[in-house]
Amino acid sequence: MTAHSLLPGPLSGPRLHARSRAVLLTLAALCGTALAAVWAAGLLDAYLDPDRRVRVVALAPLLAAAVIGTGLHSPSAELDATAVRPWWPRRLAHLLAPTALAALLLPLAVLGHPETFGAPAVVRNLLGCTGLVAASAVLLGARLSWLPATGYVFAAVLSTSGARGHWARLATWPVQAQAGSATWAVALTVFAVGAALYARHGARAGTLPD
Amino acid sequence: MSHPTSTSTVGAPEAPGTPPHSTARRRRAPHPLRSEALRGFAPWAGVTTASAVIASMALNSARWQGGWAETASELHTTQLIVLPLTVAAGCWQGGRERRRRTGELWATAARAPLARLLVSALPVAVWTALGFLAATVSAMLATWPYTQGDTPHLGLLPGDVVTTAGVALVGHVVGRVVPWRLTGPVLAVALFAWLSTILVDAGGPSRLTPARPVGDDLLPVWWQPLAVIGWTGGLTAAAVLAYAARRRITALLPLAVAAAAALALTTSTEVPYRTDPLALRQVCDTSTTPAVCVNARYAGVLPQVRAALAPVTEKLEGVRGLPARWEDLPGSTDRDEAQLPILTPRGWSFVRGRLTHPRQYAWEAVAMLEGGDRCEKRGTRTTDELVEHYLAPSPVEADFDRLDARGTKADRAALRRTLAVRARFAALSPEARRTWLSGYFIAARSGACSDPEVPLP
Repeated sequence: MTAHSLLPGPLSGPRLHARSRAVLLTLAALCGTALAAVWAAGLLDAYLDPDRRVRVVALAPLLAAAVIGTGLHSPSAELDATAVRPWWPRRLAHLLAPTALAALLLPLAVLGHPETFGAPAVVRNLLGCTGLVAASAVLLGARLSWLPATGYVFAAVLSTSGARGHWARLATWPVQAQAGSATWAVALTVFAVGAALYARHGARAGTLPD
Repeated sequence: MSHPTSTSTVGAPEAPGTPPHSTARRRRAPHPLRSEALRGFAPWAGVTTASAVIASMALNSARWQGGWAETASELHTTQLIVLPLTVAAGCWQGGRERRRRTGELWATAARAPLARLLVSALPVAVWTALGFLAATVSAMLATWPYTQGDTPHLGLLPGDVVTTAGVALVGHVVGRVVPWRLTGPVLAVALFAWLSTILVDAGGPSRLTPARPVGDDLLPVWWQPLAVIGWTGGLTAAAVLAYAARRRITALLPLAVAAAAALALTTSTEVPYRTDPLALRQVCDTSTTPAVCVNARYAGVLPQVRAALAPVTEKLEGVRGLPARWEDLPGSTDRDEAQLPILTPRGWSFVRGRLTHPRQYAWEAVAMLEGGDRCEKRGTRTTDELVEHYLAPSPVEADFDRLDARGTKADRAALRRTLAVRARFAALSPEARRTWLSGYFIAARSGACSDPEVPLP
């Protein structure tokens, strides 16, 4: 089944755009990610120690951001460049809609204990990772946009216990338990920069290092 | 052009009439491996691996910088992120022909599938291994200026490098087999989650995990790198041969090697690590009583420890009943010795070769002299506090006194009594003070935890 056949009905601009980007498959993959996160969180026995949820809180948003990022690929980049209408509203909607869906679904994996790796931390990480992925899509291309964010989040998770000091905690925002204002500011800034870059330039046609 | 220059077009047909000897001067077409290694994704994979490892190491620098053993252990721990990143990078490279839609074109090539696969896959494997090596060299250069003894620990490196390259090859095979754009990130996240979960389990199968942490005071035995290379390299070769070899049954040979290595790693009665002989030695300054000994792994810190404890040892001159030395070896302490306050794990009181809180360290050393660590239930006693106040007051003692002064009536009364005892002790003659301290240490270190306190001065 292709994404094309998943969206029946008259061909309007937004519908065509969604079809060409396989948006439904992206949304389905996000639902799958949320289910996997719920399953993984259930295995952690987090009721014994909510800190165990750090892996779910860091990795589930990363995976969701990877899904969103690869979904930004355009199969007709050269054709897109000839369009008369401004692209930024469509690009922004294309980025924000799946992000909003993931922000609704992923917190289901870590309900309760919002002070230690709870829903606020998941939403914060989702926004930060999506920003990283969107910026990477502009620079590297959508298909490989997950790689820099993956390296960054992995490095942060490995540094969970060792990062001390204000700046080190800010640098490891994906693994800070308390979704405090400073880590939110970093994640929101990354998201805003990434979203603005993507809305302005779109994903790179093709992939830089292929 | 009768004499082609070195800038002539690669592969261009030779002009008619060109002397045969001139072909030797013509630049040969570069080997496909060279082109693959220098262009495309492979160098980026190496840069990503190196960046992730360096970032992770930098965020934890206080924990390893200055210790060769800690640096090696921390670098080995980064395999937890290197392997998932590498498998994802290999996966991405493996899906290249599908993305380029050149699969059918390659199918018409004269080269065997195995050669085609290796030409495409080896550069990513080599670059990711080089990325890990580059991060290793960077970390060792960063730790070098702060080292206090010991020599570089390289025993785990061969296994880690081969495993990194092998996982890239396995990822490449997966990327060719699974036609899904999310295979790379999903594989990376799943491998990371699995590795970090299985490491919690200390059972036999976890010994097969390449990212299993190794303690700072452990060294791999001679056959450990061989077994790890056999295990991960064997699995890798089996996967590659099973996918691309002309005779797939040849995959059984490396699989047998991997199985043998796995058996050696899991069922051997000998754990593949031994205690570092250097960690079982210590260097001592015997000019004081008690003598000051630090572990030979960081022998260079002895002058700092000696300086931190100098105020204590000066006040203890002529006092009897003291242990012979502060010792710093693994295992239990002899009756005639006191444990030196621990310097490791690094990153707390011992950072980049420096004692961070000498006053706190001296207070802890005095507490060790009192022998309270031998008693499970002995609480804080007035005489202990008095001795600590005299020899090396805790940096937070004044804060506690201030809290007591603002506390309840009982707190204030207790503080008054404490201050009076301190004043009486300070007023004693040096000889009387030494006599009292001798009695105190003889009683405190007698081993009888329920002994009554030595009468206060």
